[in-house]
Amino acid sequence: MDSLTPTQRDRGLERLRRLTFGATAGALVAVVGVGYVAAASYAGTSSANASATAAETTTTTTTTTDSSSSSTSSSNSLQPSTQAPTTGSSGSGTVTSGGS
Amino acid sequence: MTVALESWKALGTSVHVLATQADGLGPATSAVSEVLADVDTAYSRFRGDSELSRLNANPGRSVRVSPLLATAIDAAQRAARLTDGAVDPTIGQAIRVAGYDDDFSRVAAQAGPLNLRAWRVPGWQAIRFDRRARTVLLPAGVELDLGSTGKALAADLAARAALAAAGGGGVLVSLGGDIAMAGTPPSGGWRIHIAEDSRVSPDADGEVICLPSGGVATSSTMVRRWTRGAAVLHHIIDPQTSLPATGPFRTVTVAAATCLDANIASTAAIVRGAGAIDWLLSWRLPARLVENDGTIHYIGRWPDPSGVAA
Repeated sequence: MDSLTPTQRDRGLERLRRLTFGATAGALVAVVGVGYVAAASYAGTSSANASATAAETTTTTTTTTDSSSSSTSSSNSLQPSTQAPTTGSSGSGTVTSGGS
Repeated sequence: MTVALESWKALGTSVHVLATQADGLGPATSAVSEVLADVDTAYSRFRGDSELSRLNANPGRSVRVSPLLATAIDAAQRAARLTDGAVDPTIGQAIRVAGYDDDFSRVAAQAGPLNLRAWRVPGWQAIRFDRRARTVLLPAGVELDLGSTGKALAADLAARAALAAAGGGGVLVSLGGDIAMAGTPPSGGWRIHIAEDSRVSPDADGEVICLPSGGVATSSTMVRRWTRGAAVLHHIIDPQTSLPATGPFRTVTVAAATCLDANIASTAAIVRGAGAIDWLLSWRLPARLVENDGTIHYIGRWPDPSGVAA
């Protein structure tokens, strides 16, 4: 087997270094490219979650009238009462709820 | 516990103010009176000088409205949005054409036949309302009627004003059967007699529920009815037809966090008809529905006197 001259060995090392750099750069470009395509194709669910949260959030607007300062519900849903009605075996101050 | 009560007439209906602290009743009553006077000035449909009447009389022009009318329009648009248009403020022309064009005492006295036809109201999306600037533009042919939400909103506003004026304790305000509660309730809660007509005495036989807070509202086709020719009409208009609703339920009562939400739901249930029960269940709102034949349904957490929930 013939031994390499110093010049031939330097050329071989230089070629090997260029190949290593090219492979690394190519892999990096491929990762970024695939990631971009994936991100564009599947936008994820963060915006949907934000909408769902907003829909369940009750906000209050305060409006000053000529006679008083009052607030009204402005939520994006009809709000149930915090406690369910019970049969009227107790309590005070009866009034009638009916059509008018 | 004894609660103090004051009653009078306003906005064409009965007003009851209850307070758990007797010395708070006077200030609470004054506060409610002021709110109702403001409401009458802002969005009465029967006062030619109200803001709402002036707005309806000026289609095609951007009009800046008071904070109270802006709040009422905002509430009405929210009601329409949450009910998919079943409760729509653009029924103004429809209810006027149906004969409800004056104070109800005068409407009921008229008897001549009406020529009614079915048409869809313009819809709440037609209203150009800038909430921040408080400007409203109604296109030609669009008339607002805030009756479906206005009284319940007034009850909520009045209850909060009454509580502030009373300086503590708890208050209940009833405007023609639309009920709003605020503050600390009496022990066991407020007793509310459920009827089809708000003029029924609270001491009459019938179902009574107790609630500590929030609101209760009843919508019924059995009141504010009038006859024109052979047609029996009522005040709950179906926006899809511009005619009085003809569903299977004649009376619906709902409890909610506010009187406004309760009234939105009870009115929408009458208009939605057969789909009302599933719709109310989807909102998790306790409700009592009376069919045209008198059959009663208890929905969600509404207490069933027989102990068997529907």
